[in-house]
Amino acid sequence: MAADLSRGALTHPDIQSLGDVNRDLLKPLGRPGLGWWMLFGLAAAGVGLFFTSWGYQIVKGIGVSGLNGPVGWGVYITSFVFWVGIAHSGTLISAILFLFRAPWRQSIYRMAEAMTVFAVMTAGLFPLIHVGRVWHAYWLIPYPNSRFLWPNFRSPLLWDVFAVTTYFTVSATFFYLGTIPDLAAARDRAVGLRKKFYKVISLGWRGTDREWHHFNKAYLFLAALAAPLVLSVHSVVSWDFAVTIVPGWHATIFAPYFVAGAIFSGCAMVITLAVPMRKAFGLEAYLTTKHFDALAKLCLLTSLIVLYAYMSEFFMAWYSGEPAERQAFWFRLFGHYWWASWTMLVCNAFVPIMLWFKRIRRSVPALFVISIFINIGMWFERYVIVVTSLSHEYEPFAWGVYRPSLTEMGILVGSFAWFGFWFLLFTRLIPPVAIAELKEVLITPMRGDRTAEAAAGEGGQA
Amino acid sequence: MSEGASGIKRRDFLKVVGVSSAGAGMVGCSTEKVEHLIPYVVPPEEITPGVATWYTTVCGECPAGCGMWVRTREGRVVKVEGNPRHPISSGALCSRGHSSLQGLYDPDRFAGPMVRDANGMRQISWEDAEQLLADRLGDGDYLFLTGSTGPTLGDLIDGFVSATGGTRVEYDALSEAPLREATRLAFGRNVVPSYDLEAARLIVSFGADFLTSWLSPVAHGRGLARMSSVDENGGEKGRLVLVGPRLSLTGQNADDWLPITPGSETLVALAMANVISGGGNDAGPYAEIVRAYSPQSVSQATGLSADQITELAERFAAAGPSLALGPGFSGQHRNATASNLAVLVLNFVAGNVGRTVSVNDPDLGSASAPYRDMETAIRIMAGGGAQAVLVHGCNPVYSLPAASGFAAAFEAMPFKVVFASSMNETAEMADLILPDRHFLESWGDSNPRPGLHALSQPAMQPVPNFDSKQTGDVLLSVATLMGSDLGAATFYDYLRTSWQRLLGGSGDFETAWRDALKNGVLETGVSSGGAASLRSPDAALVFDAPAFDGDGDFHLMVHPSARFGDGALNANRPWLLELPDPVSKITWHSWVEMNPHAAEGLGLRDGDMVTVASEHGSVEVPVWTYPGIREDVVALAMGGGHTGAGRFADGNGVNAMALLPAETEEPSGGLVNLATRVSITPTGERRPLATIAGATEQHERGITPAVALAELGHQEEGEAEGDVHGQLKELQGVGGFVPVATDGEPADFPLPGAEYGEYVDAHDGPRWGMAIDLDKCTGCSACVTACQSENNVPWVGENQMIMGREMHWMRIERYYETVHADEAGPVDIRFLPMLCQHCGNAPCEPVCPVYATYHSPEGLNVQVYNRCVGTRYCANNCPYKLRVFNWYSYTDQIPEPMNMQFNPDVTVRDEGVMEKCSFCIQRIRAVQNRTAVEGRGMSDGEVVPACQQSCPAEAIVFGDVRDENSRVAQIIQNERTYRVLDSTVNTQPAVSYLKKVTFHDVESGAH
Repeated sequence: MAADLSRGALTHPDIQSLGDVNRDLLKPLGRPGLGWWMLFGLAAAGVGLFFTSWGYQIVKGIGVSGLNGPVGWGVYITSFVFWVGIAHSGTLISAILFLFRAPWRQSIYRMAEAMTVFAVMTAGLFPLIHVGRVWHAYWLIPYPNSRFLWPNFRSPLLWDVFAVTTYFTVSATFFYLGTIPDLAAARDRAVGLRKKFYKVISLGWRGTDREWHHFNKAYLFLAALAAPLVLSVHSVVSWDFAVTIVPGWHATIFAPYFVAGAIFSGCAMVITLAVPMRKAFGLEAYLTTKHFDALAKLCLLTSLIVLYAYMSEFFMAWYSGEPAERQAFWFRLFGHYWWASWTMLVCNAFVPIMLWFKRIRRSVPALFVISIFINIGMWFERYVIVVTSLSHEYEPFAWGVYRPSLTEMGILVGSFAWFGFWFLLFTRLIPPVAIAELKEVLITPMRGDRTAEAAAGEGGQA
Repeated sequence: MSEGASGIKRRDFLKVVGVSSAGAGMVGCSTEKVEHLIPYVVPPEEITPGVATWYTTVCGECPAGCGMWVRTREGRVVKVEGNPRHPISSGALCSRGHSSLQGLYDPDRFAGPMVRDANGMRQISWEDAEQLLADRLGDGDYLFLTGSTGPTLGDLIDGFVSATGGTRVEYDALSEAPLREATRLAFGRNVVPSYDLEAARLIVSFGADFLTSWLSPVAHGRGLARMSSVDENGGEKGRLVLVGPRLSLTGQNADDWLPITPGSETLVALAMANVISGGGNDAGPYAEIVRAYSPQSVSQATGLSADQITELAERFAAAGPSLALGPGFSGQHRNATASNLAVLVLNFVAGNVGRTVSVNDPDLGSASAPYRDMETAIRIMAGGGAQAVLVHGCNPVYSLPAASGFAAAFEAMPFKVVFASSMNETAEMADLILPDRHFLESWGDSNPRPGLHALSQPAMQPVPNFDSKQTGDVLLSVATLMGSDLGAATFYDYLRTSWQRLLGGSGDFETAWRDALKNGVLETGVSSGGAASLRSPDAALVFDAPAFDGDGDFHLMVHPSARFGDGALNANRPWLLELPDPVSKITWHSWVEMNPHAAEGLGLRDGDMVTVASEHGSVEVPVWTYPGIREDVVALAMGGGHTGAGRFADGNGVNAMALLPAETEEPSGGLVNLATRVSITPTGERRPLATIAGATEQHERGITPAVALAELGHQEEGEAEGDVHGQLKELQGVGGFVPVATDGEPADFPLPGAEYGEYVDAHDGPRWGMAIDLDKCTGCSACVTACQSENNVPWVGENQMIMGREMHWMRIERYYETVHADEAGPVDIRFLPMLCQHCGNAPCEPVCPVYATYHSPEGLNVQVYNRCVGTRYCANNCPYKLRVFNWYSYTDQIPEPMNMQFNPDVTVRDEGVMEKCSFCIQRIRAVQNRTAVEGRGMSDGEVVPACQQSCPAEAIVFGDVRDENSRVAQIIQNERTYRVLDSTVNTQPAVSYLKKVTFHDVESGAH
């Protein structure tokens, strides 16, 4: 495996020894500073806002949202799709790039996977927030009951239930499995209560050959299992829209379009999260500009696919000759929500043009700014798809516009806090870069003549 | 058993139990009232739990006097419907009639009689109240202001005032005094003419909005629909022409519009008469006058060319029976009597009098009293000429122009008594309030035209929350206290005595009385008044265009609201407030109508607040731009701006009467209404309009296509349907999908090609379907309120309406096709009653994750409220947007006792669930159950949904489309039949529409 893994590996010239790796990467697990506590306090407050808003909505009724007659889906479904999209790049980076042996993933995939798990945890709440009677939401689960009532397997919402729960199960398992050797490394350094904690969650990892053998097999299998999910989940989510007859939703391009968009937004989110972490934890040696360059290229590629999808949508709307379809897209660009559509186009199609330049791809501050733009643009992309299409459907007399309410805004902001809450905990509890795998790709002289396995296993032996 | 295992003796145990129970009993004696459930010991004979009992009565909402059927369940009124045996309503009813239920259960009705003392109003007993009234009336002269009453109550009031020394003043806010006076001047008969719209082939309305507020809207609605629709063979379609500055709902139904200068109706009518009578030669005594108004001479003043007037006049003369209808209330200007007279002369010279215009049968039984009497009354009150004033059936503080000084004069009166069932602006000032019963709780009668009598009977015990007493009974007992005998102890006896005279000596009175109650109508012979001929004109009458006050840029037209009429006594009803106005589609608040060009000139858009100011007052109101109004006119509806009419009415909109002068029209004595010019000043603020109209045009969707009359009968087989469907199927075929094998006839169910899934079990039973004839629909919106009443549809309030959360299961869509306010020409505004289409291939069904919506074996798209989780996916996927969602628990906000109105056959929905039209499935089931018990099959027409039942225009027909002989199946076999969006999205709706037929050319197919 050594030869395979080192192919195209990115170099980390600033890392002097394997011991440095353990030292640098386990450092974040130490005592958190004031900055972390402040951020964590902010996130906790946001979580409070999130659940207060939701609770208020449950008590008062879904009417506290701004949703209305024609526009029955709004910020909640937008955010659901957004967070599911964010969840994509994690598995892409960890599973697909693992299978394709793209070694630049090593430094970044742990963060991406954590992001995936937390993003699905966030996304999964939105359908519950969205429904009118959340206390009956369990009816969407096919469970045996005395009335022989089953859910409707033709409904894409039911497919969503399966797609999202499957994705969460697999990505969480995959994430956890990958952390086990690193948790063992953390255990070996920790003392007191922390040691007990890591002891339990590292499942007694010792780093034996036998364990490594099984681990690698399991990892490979899970990667293979997770890989198709990257494509399937967002395809299913896109079918929520594509199988309907709503002009602006009903399009065959939706599945690839959504998957590309998801990867686009996910990679942007990885950049958004990695840049501050790199700075805060001094990981410059591990997350080099070359990693960012690779992520930026992925963004550029998916941005082009998304742009193609936009153009294809507009072209097909015109080419169909169907007035409802044509006017829906005209409305999208020049109607009531023109600002949302143009935000989407500028952020997702025009701003990423800068990524053609190598200098920008290698400039961390520039990438950070661009990634923020992409995050905003991708949220608005879903907003535009969901809201503008519904507000101008077939029946002109029933056209109407929707304005999000304060409660919806509270929940939207709160969802970022909820995500941040978990992510902040992650930075302090789990090594944010995969120690064992990183060691595998360090340049050979540093490893001496030891095998990759042995080098990686050092985490367990130290 | 005497000793328990624990050693407690039985006796001790019982002691402990006894003491503790007693203790519990003591604790239980709190101040809270204990409610006892007491079942019927001896069940009332007429009440079978679960089975409705019906009573006949007469609608008391307006003087038209429609017959009503009242549906009661377990002693409560739950629904009103038109009485099919009554010749005026013929089974239909308007929105206002349906809303009378909310007047009955109005939570702001008076709890009991109240008297004013130093601390405000205080409740007293009926005995004290009557004694007080008797004492105070004995002091001297008093005034009795009454609104429209039934004949017997009117007689009683006359008897009462003459016995006790008072003066009666009749006051009707929507008085037709100029028309009555004009008829008297023209033909010597003091009546309001009655009109036979159905018999006419061409109707020219000089602004009269006869579909919503003028004379008898329900009867006119049916008449117009029958007159103006094509018959089954596509022939004989009558034409409606509107001559006036604004398109009311009636105007929106017109085929041609001649937008004339406000107040110039007289000139157009006389010029038309001039053309028809050969320059006035055949105009009899009016020859001199008619001669003076040639089309050329009036062209300048009316804004029409001489040719247009001549052409209209020629068509009018040639049409066979034609009919011209007077300007109506919104055209009541300073020369209104002359206007009405001119229209009568026009009818006369065209030979319509005796054919479509009858001056033998007055349409209104009671004399609509002119404003002049009121002016006198105000003078008397202000001058201290009366000791007390009694008010019944009207609300003059609200409905008279502020300039009249009524409020001040009334307030200064030493003793003010109001008989009203709920609070209003006049009652707010009263010293003594004697709560009247609602007409559904009281006895009464009506005589809407000679030879037609009907009884009102209480359909239920008085609503227990309110201690009310019928005014007739109060007057009788007060008269007794004052020492006069009016001939009966109760109003019931008085009424029976009065009817004894009517029913005559022949036969058994009890049987005849019972029959009259059962049928709800009594028709007696009527003596013909002989042929009417024109009398010599009154020299004093001026036929010229009227003067307008002030120098603002716009003429102000104040018109009766299409929902409320004058709105004086019926504004506290959420059903009416939330009913989209048939013209503007705005709910709850007021608006000022402006032509878009005029608004553009002032830089105004929909929803901009403006100050409308006349010499007499000003109001602030949002603008609604409307192409159906001239650029030099703005219009305000009556009925808004209440300040003391109850929790729902108060604070909505503005009272247009504030802008009007208090001036009497001569010689009729009516109130001058179209009288002033106003200026429009933007305030710079905006407010969102609570409208349901998303777009005013169809945007090439072919939602309401029309067909030109000339095209009817010439269409090739299959040409009507576009080829889109065929292409689509081909494309699907290539993709490996199995397309639906046919276009889906309405009767097809299950669909060919749908062998799997929920459709497979469909039996051979009925396939319910509906046909709606858009050539008949007038957009009056009676169906919307009927549906709301039948199906417990909640109202949501103004803010929710602004957010776009209306709950109506039906909406009347309105699309402009051709509307030109700057030149005479065809007008084409389309109405489309949109309800759940019960699609055979329903897009809502497959997307519901929990099967809360599915297809019933009878082809209904049914909604299972209890199963709904509230994802709203179905509503997104419904191309018709007719699924409505309970954003809140709207029914929780419904105050007592309005909940008594709920139809017990229909679930009340909670928050978070989707709902929609069910094709009145409760009525289908009721008929199915009944026929099953009776062991017979259902016959066609037995199931009548609420919307069809209420439609004055007879536009809606429901039934089993699979039964070839059913009416609905036969109606949809028509070249005008189409189904909305079916060719675009293949939904295969169960609702078929019949295209509107126009006289002018329309682009067929898409438009």
